[in-house]
Amino acid sequence: MSRSAMLHKIRQACAGSDPVELPSEMPDFPHYSDPVEKFRQELERVGGVFLDGRRSEELAGALVLVLKESDSTEIYWEGEELFQRHGISFTLRDPEAFAAGSLLYSFHFRHQVRFPIILNSKPAERSNLARISLSASGARFGIAETGTVVHEVKAGRGRLLSLLPPAHLVFLSERDLLMNQAMLFLSTPPGRGSALTLVTGPSRTSDIERTLVVGVHGPGKLFVILTS
Amino acid sequence: MIKISSNIQSALADETLQGNLRRAFVETLHSRNQAVSEVPNWEELRHYAREVKAHTLSRLPDYLQSLEEKVLEQGGKVIWAETGQEAVQFIVDLSHRREIREVVKGKSMLSEEIHLNESLERAQIKPVETDLGEYVIQLAGEKPSHLVAPALHKSKKEIADLFVQELGMAPTEDVLEITATARKLLRHHFLTARMGITGVNFAVAETGTIVIVENEGNVGLSVSVPEIHIALMGIEKVIPRSRDLAVFLKLLIRSATGQKMTSYVNCLNGPRRSDELDGPQEFYLILIDNGRSKILADDFMRQSLACIRCGACLNVCPVYQTIGGHAYGSTYQGPLGAMLTPLLTSVGEAPEHAFASSLCGACHEVCPVGIPIPQILLKLRERFQSERNQKAASFSLEKLVIQVWARVMCSPILYARLGRWARMLDKVFGKSGMGRLPIPLFSRWRKHRDLPALPPQSFRELYSSITCTKEAP
Repeated sequence: MSRSAMLHKIRQACAGSDPVELPSEMPDFPHYSDPVEKFRQELERVGGVFLDGRRSEELAGALVLVLKESDSTEIYWEGEELFQRHGISFTLRDPEAFAAGSLLYSFHFRHQVRFPIILNSKPAERSNLARISLSASGARFGIAETGTVVHEVKAGRGRLLSLLPPAHLVFLSERDLLMNQAMLFLSTPPGRGSALTLVTGPSRTSDIERTLVVGVHGPGKLFVILTS
Repeated sequence: MIKISSNIQSALADETLQGNLRRAFVETLHSRNQAVSEVPNWEELRHYAREVKAHTLSRLPDYLQSLEEKVLEQGGKVIWAETGQEAVQFIVDLSHRREIREVVKGKSMLSEEIHLNESLERAQIKPVETDLGEYVIQLAGEKPSHLVAPALHKSKKEIADLFVQELGMAPTEDVLEITATARKLLRHHFLTARMGITGVNFAVAETGTIVIVENEGNVGLSVSVPEIHIALMGIEKVIPRSRDLAVFLKLLIRSATGQKMTSYVNCLNGPRRSDELDGPQEFYLILIDNGRSKILADDFMRQSLACIRCGACLNVCPVYQTIGGHAYGSTYQGPLGAMLTPLLTSVGEAPEHAFASSLCGACHEVCPVGIPIPQILLKLRERFQSERNQKAASFSLEKLVIQVWARVMCSPILYARLGRWARMLDKVFGKSGMGRLPIPLFSRWRKHRDLPALPPQSFRELYSSITCTKEAP
């Protein structure tokens, strides 16, 4: 079927229709006096775990809790940028072996966390990705209204690290916390990378007798650490 | 031709189905009402969405072209399919060219509408549904009975039995275990599939963004792991601007599941960029007409194309609640199916759909984009009737009865006279005696209804016998 024939048909169907203007004013979206508190409430309501890491001495404790809760001794990190953006000190175990796009992970024997975090690397093969028990990434934005974190796929990042593991940790900077979705879509037209994903709580289903089950295909545990 | 009447009796007699249906709606309706009541400007949002839809539909070709342009800019490809068959053929050909034998699928009503799975199977390509509800339905060899919760007509026990029989699961009725079984099996399909096929909730013309809303993460995986992503989209799904998404997402999600937000909203802009770590190398957007431009050409019926497939009208519909989805015999069910099925095909093809409604108006009230479904159904009934009248011989009993009725109703003298006769008959035959008259058609009508006894005096007689003591203000 040719494109032009189909377009012609649609054009004819629209011909002579009364012009309707696009509304110019957006309806109001809510604002909050304490967006952090609203974000925490909404995230917890959908089964996510909120951790306040705004004071640097709280960060280690938060990470220990995440490791314990997800029953994991390793964290797979999205990239070095994550550490810089959220002020977490790190060091590469073997800088020479490090290749762009490889998986970065830290090992936490008995759920211990020490700074700087020592990073190892392994090839980003699918079989390696599929075995990860806990991954960590940085959110581009948070949305207070719904307790949502926004992932942006861009250079050096992928879609799977936050989706395949059973537990996922998100770092959100307080200055990236937006009030509502309207602010997100007005300020960030999607389109720089190939995907922008709004994540609200763990993966869930109610397909069987409306019984809620978390962790169907995506992570069953979602942690958000707020940094300043 | 799709008939509903023949399915109704069996749906009503199916006790398991009736039990499953009874359970399904109370909670869904409650959470939807709760989620909506939390939004003080809900009506304003509805109005905004309605205006955006009306505007977009009036300039659909422009928006489709701008969407196409943006998708191409991002490295995606756009396929125009006038019929479902053309869309299916494209997918089959592409799979054959790439030697693809299995595809993972996100939930898509449009793929049901164009019978994609059947065609893929005929072409030796295995479609794997990955939404849990759809997976259950596929295993059972059935069709979805609800747009949002496709396995709503099935009980936990029925699903557990199915998993034991088809997948060798150890017997259990624990929903957690049933879900874990599906997760494990589907994970394998995700990691090996080379093509993912999904539907589209919204497509933003100004940015070329495809938006897919979901809770399970199966869509996220379907559009991230395989090397090819194909998105199926009805031409009416385009919206002009990115900002409109904020409104439509709020309306859709709260109406569909009563959540404030689903676990995932995927906003996709073509294939992976060369510097990204994963994602599909090829992205195809298939724009499907399949009867929509015919609806678009009809100024009144065009409103039905504003539908965002939230399923709220199904949940509130007394007819749907009683007979379930399968009785409709069509892809789209409930009020929106009653409206869309005859519109997408023809009233001759689906003659009973517009009549499967009590016109109570609950669907219109709950619709997040304010589609006047009852009015559309009435119009469809009118069209069906006028088509039938044209076909029928010049004499019809119904016509005669209506003509006589019209004559009587137009004449006060005739009306009064007939009323007197009827009261006389009542006296002769005793209380409610008229109903016992052995008129064949009449006694059939009487089987399920009572004809109340007529009062001894008509209103006019009563009125003229009263002396008015009070003066009118």
